[in-house]
Amino acid sequence: MASSIVTHALTKRFGERLAVDAVDIELPVGVVSGFVGPNGAGKTTTIQLLLGLCRPTSGSAEVLGQSISDPASYLGRVGALIEAPSFYPTLSGARNLEVLTRLGRIDSRRIAEVLELVELSDRARDLVRSYSLGMKQRLGVAAALLPNPELCILDEPTNGLDPAGIREIRGVIRGLADRGITVFVSSHLLAEIEAVCDHLVMIDSGKIVFQGGMDRLIDAQQADIVATPEHPSDAPALAELCIAAGKPARVERDAVHVQAPEDWAAELNRTAMAAGITLRGLAVARASLEQAFFAITEGEQGEG
Amino acid sequence: MLGAFSSEWVKLRRRAMLLWGLGGGLFFAVLATIFTIERAVRTPQFFQGGRGVRISFAELEMPDGLVHGVVDVSGLIGIVALCLFAGAFATEYSQGTMRNLLVREPRRSRLLAGKFLAIAAFIGIAVVLEIVISCGVAFALAPGRGISTSAWTSSTGLNDLAQATFHVFLASVGYGVLGAAIGVLLRSPGVAIGTAVAYILPGEAIIVGVIWGGGDHWLPGQLLDSLAHGGNDNSSYGHALITLAVYVAAIAAGTLWLFRRRDA
Repeated sequence: MASSIVTHALTKRFGERLAVDAVDIELPVGVVSGFVGPNGAGKTTTIQLLLGLCRPTSGSAEVLGQSISDPASYLGRVGALIEAPSFYPTLSGARNLEVLTRLGRIDSRRIAEVLELVELSDRARDLVRSYSLGMKQRLGVAAALLPNPELCILDEPTNGLDPAGIREIRGVIRGLADRGITVFVSSHLLAEIEAVCDHLVMIDSGKIVFQGGMDRLIDAQQADIVATPEHPSDAPALAELCIAAGKPARVERDAVHVQAPEDWAAELNRTAMAAGITLRGLAVARASLEQAFFAITEGEQGEG
Repeated sequence: MLGAFSSEWVKLRRRAMLLWGLGGGLFFAVLATIFTIERAVRTPQFFQGGRGVRISFAELEMPDGLVHGVVDVSGLIGIVALCLFAGAFATEYSQGTMRNLLVREPRRSRLLAGKFLAIAAFIGIAVVLEIVISCGVAFALAPGRGISTSAWTSSTGLNDLAQATFHVFLASVGYGVLGAAIGVLLRSPGVAIGTAVAYILPGEAIIVGVIWGGGDHWLPGQLLDSLAHGGNDNSSYGHALITLAVYVAAIAAGTLWLFRRRDA
């Protein structure tokens, strides 16, 4: 599969601080890829390196097949929203976009198209200083879409948004994916990424700790079997039975969470029945992205 | 570069830019013209030690008398240009829009040059407007004070007018180079404008008055003043032009190097 972003030991140091540490990323074309990690993990610096906004200390990278040492060769095909949306407050939304279309020699008809896409057409003539944060974020996405990009890099597009705003941005990202645009979206809100992405790059302390399909990550994490006894008082006894069978178990909210392969659920059911415990619920709980992230990063620290 | 030039004009058309960029210089130019004509005296007057000359009718009736007031405040017009340039560059950094611009125009030298030329063109229009309106005010006020305007419209007068316009514009662009460099260097409009104005207004005067008497022959603010006047007692026009050309080349090269090298 072709790659839209490839980095080779990409490194950025600010004085003593290593912000990006020998990062190797390979982002397939056509995916919505989440770039996740805690605040200060190196997401924004990596994005700035990819956009030619800062120079790597060492290593190299290609975006859409072109070296980041020559950003002019690929940025015409890339849309970007970098950190907080920054605009000229005393210009209207449309005029702000006009600054960028003129600069990038982009057809000015795109302004109306992208404003329509992010549902800002009715506020296009209002000054940006009157916009809410959510509207500024949407205008930022509109600015990113101006060149009709093959690759869209969005840095924390849901930052500071309320749930409704987050849902709007999520919808916009899904829309981009539907149009075949590769999206690389960073966020420290893992649940957000989980909702829209099919590919994931995880970064922690400047290092990549995972990259690949979302399903691969989740599958790699052992699922919990959740057994709920009819009588809550039976939960501790059931947990003891599981532990005796060699499966780690804990009681949470009257249910027993057992770390075991999915197919052990049948055995658990039989064990409970043999002990005279009736189950009113038996399910498999897959690890959330957040759980997977912490499992990986804690594992990395343990290895370190 | 044309894209950067054209893009900058969207911002230059903002009301605040028109108010401060055009209005600021216009205010000084018109005020200076009114003062010059209204306070002119029939015979030259000198105050203590020859300082504080009030202009005479005879001087105003010379072919170059028309723009006397404007040229006298060319330093203030230059300060407006300096603030405009410093603010335009520093604000892009402080409000985070520089990154947006660099994504759409990653060729930084083109971005810098296009942006600079657009603001210089704006300053050019402002200077022409300031001089045209000042001339209108001068023509309106002069007859009332009994000042003859016939030499102003002579071929020498028109030539002096064109030269004065060019000199004031050139000096304003010189101030602009300084402002742009400080804006790129400091990246904060308040700090950049404050530093630039503090250097040009009291800074150079203190240097010349206290530290280095010969500074009036070499310091950029003094040379820009000389340039605007087409040469003065401190420096000839040729000396000012050549020395400033060297300064501008050095400052422009340094600014370009910094702008291209620095992380955005």
